[in-house]
Amino acid sequence: MKRRNLLKALALCAAVAASTGSTGALADTTLRVFSGGANQRPDLMRKLFDQFQAANPGVKIEIETGGATSELQRQYLSTVLNAKDSAIDIYMIDIVNPAQYFGAGWLEPLNAYVGNPADAMKPFLPVYLQSNVVDGKVAAMPGFADAMFMYYRKDLLEKYRIAEPKTWDELAAASKKIQAGEGNPNLQGLSIQGAPIEGAVCTFLLPYWSQGKEFNDASGKLTLDRTAAVKGLNQWLGMVDGGVIKRNVAEVKTPDTVNEFKAGQVVFAINWGFAWDRFQADNDSTVKGKVGVMPLPAMAGGKSATCVGGWQWAVSAFSKNKAEAAKLVKFMSTPAASKFLAVEGSLLPVYQSVYVDPDVVKAVPWFKDASNVVIAGKSRPLSKDYGQVSDVVRTTTSAVLARTKKPEDGVGEIESRLARVMR
Amino acid sequence: MATGASMIERMRDPSEASLGMLLLAPAFLLLALIVVYPIATLIFNSFFDLRLSGGGGMKFVGLENYLLVLKDPDFWNATWNTVLITLITVPGALVVGLGLALLANLPFKRQWPVRLALLLPWALPLAFAGLIFAWFFHTEYGIVNDVVRRLGFGGEPTMWLLRPGWAFAAICLTIVWKTSSFMALILLAGLQMIPRSLYEAAEVDGASKGQQFWQITIPMLMPSIIVALIFRTITALQTFDIPYTMTRGGPGNATETLAMLIHKTTIDYLDVGYGSTLAVFMFLLSLAVTAVYLRRIGRQA
Repeated sequence: MKRRNLLKALALCAAVAASTGSTGALADTTLRVFSGGANQRPDLMRKLFDQFQAANPGVKIEIETGGATSELQRQYLSTVLNAKDSAIDIYMIDIVNPAQYFGAGWLEPLNAYVGNPADAMKPFLPVYLQSNVVDGKVAAMPGFADAMFMYYRKDLLEKYRIAEPKTWDELAAASKKIQAGEGNPNLQGLSIQGAPIEGAVCTFLLPYWSQGKEFNDASGKLTLDRTAAVKGLNQWLGMVDGGVIKRNVAEVKTPDTVNEFKAGQVVFAINWGFAWDRFQADNDSTVKGKVGVMPLPAMAGGKSATCVGGWQWAVSAFSKNKAEAAKLVKFMSTPAASKFLAVEGSLLPVYQSVYVDPDVVKAVPWFKDASNVVIAGKSRPLSKDYGQVSDVVRTTTSAVLARTKKPEDGVGEIESRLARVMR
Repeated sequence: MATGASMIERMRDPSEASLGMLLLAPAFLLLALIVVYPIATLIFNSFFDLRLSGGGGMKFVGLENYLLVLKDPDFWNATWNTVLITLITVPGALVVGLGLALLANLPFKRQWPVRLALLLPWALPLAFAGLIFAWFFHTEYGIVNDVVRRLGFGGEPTMWLLRPGWAFAAICLTIVWKTSSFMALILLAGLQMIPRSLYEAAEVDGASKGQQFWQITIPMLMPSIIVALIFRTITALQTFDIPYTMTRGGPGNATETLAMLIHKTTIDYLDVGYGSTLAVFMFLLSLAVTAVYLRRIGRQA
């Protein structure tokens, strides 16, 4: 009796094993994707994943979303990847992260899947070759681009017959004229981000770069020009003193700039590309149809430059399905995917060719202005220790803008702290 | 076979000593896993140059990390901030908490609203408290500046969280608000254990209210005060959430605490070796403070 039961049980086990085995051959791969925060539009990514699933039967894609800002996501991912967690196969990461994550051994080199770096990166905007290829290895593939843009109130500039300013001083003069003419004490001339967030790194770099100076050389070594850096920070402080930038600028975060511009309280605003949709499409926006985009002004005698951002797809070094994951990453970085994201979500394309695609131009006309800004854009310092570089630059910039540090002391601190990290 | 049977026999009827061991084993195992193992790993890592960003392996550096910490101005700044927060907020929370406990102990008709009011700040997560108070102190949208303006102090609004001194004061105020209710709860329990007869006897002897407070309430409450102080001091040394959400340690690093520096070094900078060494220093600081308290309790007992 007993023996017979045992035999039955064994037979059952075998049957179960066989059946799971056979279904396994059909639908065996589940890819888990970390798809950024709400600003990275996981809803649109889901649609692309569905397309991939339809074309690749047997692959199921699960999606996971994270914090709202790049720093929050970086902290979460650092913890997960540090623990060598194999649960997530694919990560969407900010442009500043491939060097750091690849350096830590967290990302799978993609050369075997996409070919040699120079050819694989050729169709993309040039900045992505710099930021996604680390030590001759493709660390990540571009998903969509982003950049700091100068938004402005078209209606106000027309009203006072002011041309688009080319230098920061012209911008300050234009702002003062408009502020005086409007007589609204709450109207800010320029809104920048001075809180110690990732955006403050760009706040430091914009006036510095626009003097034609570089923060680092090709090998990542620090090449800080102290005089130019001090001059850049003094440019902001001068605008604070002149009433163009508000006094508590060191409290201003990215959403503050967006909300205040939407409320019609700002003439010029520097912000990421996603802000355009907020200004034009949000129900509570008072500036619909009155917004223009222009290249960032430069320091007198300098050249306009902006901070390029954007989001990349990378395969985890701890993934158990690397081949399938790499296939999905390739799919997400095709021109078709880039076009889909541009048309559906006005996310900036990573291919220069997509900017002039007729469908894209029709759906998002402002991209023709945007493409020049993005192509001329620069990437923030690439470093395996970007977490530290970013922290030092943004904390010090914020402290200088709060006037708890003199620009000279702040720049000295940045230099002495980063000299060891960026060598 | 025989030994197996005898072992089962023994398991069925263990001696007192082995029963004790058996019953303690799960707790011991749990402690070893969640306390001893991490602390041992921490101390082990603190002797290595272990940076996740470099891709290189671990390199034994002996006491080098410790020497670097002692020469690190950021470490001293963060330690000083932590100690200052402890020195201000622990007595602050004690005084406010004692006041609240005395208030709640008054013979109200309905006691539950008072006690609920005591519980609420304690039940609120630290990060929420930090975010709420950061909003209060915001230069433009904050209620603090609104009140200041309504009271007729015109002129430029103060940028509370952008001035090192004010930012520090705002953080201390938030911590005192957040933690005094916990103090009050412990002290309230202590107050209710003091027999009424003592006060009646003092009344008969003609002692004033003040004398009653200093001669009866405070001495009888001492054990509760000490317990509350120990808990509060240890959490004060670990202060992280409130300054992190209110100022991110800013302006500059004027309000950065030791726990924030450790978090930054390990999570943002991925420098696990150096971060571990910083954590060892924080561990030693907590250990020293606890030892002082424990000695005091020992003397009392």
